[in-house]
Amino acid sequence: MSSIIEARGLTKVFGSNGTAVHALCGIDLTVSAGEFVALVGPSGSGKSTLMAIIGCLDSPTKGSYAIDGTNVEGLSEAALARIRNEKVGFVFQNYNLLPKASIARNVELPLLYAGVGRKERRRRALELLERVGIPEKANVLPGVLSGGQCQRVAIARALANTPALLLADEPTGALDSKTGEEVLALFKELHRQGNSVMLVTHDAHIASLAERRVELRDGLIVSDVSEKRAA
Amino acid sequence: MLSGAFRERLAGAWVEIRENLGRSRLQTLGVVLGVASVLGGFSISDSQRRRSDERWVKLGGMDRLNVQPSEAIRDGQPTALQTANLGLRAEDADEGGSLDAKAVSGVSQQKMARARVRSPYADQDRQLTGIGGDYMALNGYTVEKGREFSAEDLENGRPVALLGAEAAATFFPTGDAVGQTIRLGEIPVVVVGTLAEKVFRWRDNQGNQFAWRNRIVAVPATLVARRMQGDRWQRVDRVAFRIRDLDVMKTFSEGLGALLKGNHRQQEDFRIDDIGARVRKRRSQGDVYNMIFMLSGVLSLIGGGMVNVNIQMATLKERVREVGVKMAIGASGREVFKEFMTEALLLTGLGALAGFAAGVAFSKIITSFLEIPLFMQPASFLWAFLLAAAFGFAFALYPAWKASRLSPMEALRYE
Repeated sequence: MSSIIEARGLTKVFGSNGTAVHALCGIDLTVSAGEFVALVGPSGSGKSTLMAIIGCLDSPTKGSYAIDGTNVEGLSEAALARIRNEKVGFVFQNYNLLPKASIARNVELPLLYAGVGRKERRRRALELLERVGIPEKANVLPGVLSGGQCQRVAIARALANTPALLLADEPTGALDSKTGEEVLALFKELHRQGNSVMLVTHDAHIASLAERRVELRDGLIVSDVSEKRAA
Repeated sequence: MLSGAFRERLAGAWVEIRENLGRSRLQTLGVVLGVASVLGGFSISDSQRRRSDERWVKLGGMDRLNVQPSEAIRDGQPTALQTANLGLRAEDADEGGSLDAKAVSGVSQQKMARARVRSPYADQDRQLTGIGGDYMALNGYTVEKGREFSAEDLENGRPVALLGAEAAATFFPTGDAVGQTIRLGEIPVVVVGTLAEKVFRWRDNQGNQFAWRNRIVAVPATLVARRMQGDRWQRVDRVAFRIRDLDVMKTFSEGLGALLKGNHRQQEDFRIDDIGARVRKRRSQGDVYNMIFMLSGVLSLIGGGMVNVNIQMATLKERVREVGVKMAIGASGREVFKEFMTEALLLTGLGALAGFAAGVAFSKIITSFLEIPLFMQPASFLWAFLLAAAFGFAFALYPAWKASRLSPMEALRYE
């Protein structure tokens, strides 16, 4: 199976010499297509930084990183934007929906940046909303939706360009436990359909849903456990 | 240029504007005021200038080039050369008229005299106007009753007269002047026509500026020259050329000067109207106002631009998050820049349209208050729009550039 994530010796240093903070101190990580990985660790462990690099939002200070076979080293800002657009689907803790754009438009946005035509965008957006279970909300604003519904919209948006990797940062952090379970179930369902999923969380229970757990501490991977039979 | 991507961006900008109506309204306000001010200002000053041009023409100002003998020959002790010189005469008018036949649409001569004017009803000492050429047309006189002087009358100095409205009323209060005889000094002349009353008022409640013109007692200039105070050279008191085009008038006046100097033994014993001054006057008329209005327009555009930048900065938090999200889902810095610029330019365009409406309304109100007809030129619209577009563009650059340079990670985390 081809690898979605191929990271070698990733190092990230914030600040300059005197006040330098080493967020990542040499990370090696390989994730294959179709895996469901949980990235766990306490706050300050560097998991958000790692996630940013994996999602091409940030670039490493040192080390090499390839996503879905593309080495990102030395790529231009525009090329990175293209990778984020095509290969990565982000889901954030606080949903990060555009508050004044309709649900459908929120979902359409990645398609817009990919250059998909208007009619096709609308069709795909409706299809995706159906897939995450809220087809009837296409024309409302995010403000009227519950947290769980917002996160479903965010997931629909993340799936818009059928990315190689679904990257979720504490996707249930802002939800009550029941809704959180529903969202997690959706992730599992998406995984079952063949999507590669990476969850970033500090919650051991959520992490236990994944078939593979990568634990970070002080910028290093301290454990990497795979369970063939997850939950 | 109107590619698919641009249309998408435009549609997106429209959505963005509609979704943030309050913010957008504030942002366009400066543009609206600026455009309204430039357009309104230009239009009001154009209207005023046009009105004043019309009055100039009506007063017989703008399109006439007058030549008069200079003072030295009229009073005092003339030099031998001046004495020997012939002065301004009919020949000058004829030659001047054929100098540029295309440009000159009329030539008139005038020779004044004073005489005792007597009719069965009145006996007054009056100025007589000896006229020749196209005097009537050039001075805007029209015949009300009877007829104008014929070419033959003018040529041969026939004893005929035309009376202005006031003169007719004075000498023939019964209203049957045409066909009657009046005596100019000892010369009996027949009144062949009376002239329509000439009226011109700056404002409705003011006096008639043309009252003096209605006092005219006109006879052929040749009659004055032959039978009252003439000489054999047919000297005249004034020659006027009608030339519609002010630019042509300038070159014509130079040519005429050279011609007359040659005719007058190299003596500058005549005076031609200063066309340069007239051109300057016409050009500068309203220029000051244009400058002031343009300045106030530019100032409100600058003010508006700053408000715009301020709003962008004040809504930075919201916008930075938005930019972060857009970047996370695949917008490049260039795309973000284009989105911001498109939005700003669309706002400017909409603001300019609203500004046009406001400017037209503004001009209408002011001109109706000033009681002058409204006159708007496409150029004013263009100017207002170009200024707004230039400033809209300039002030959009900074926020757009700022936004495009955000790092997606920092933008997402921005609190």
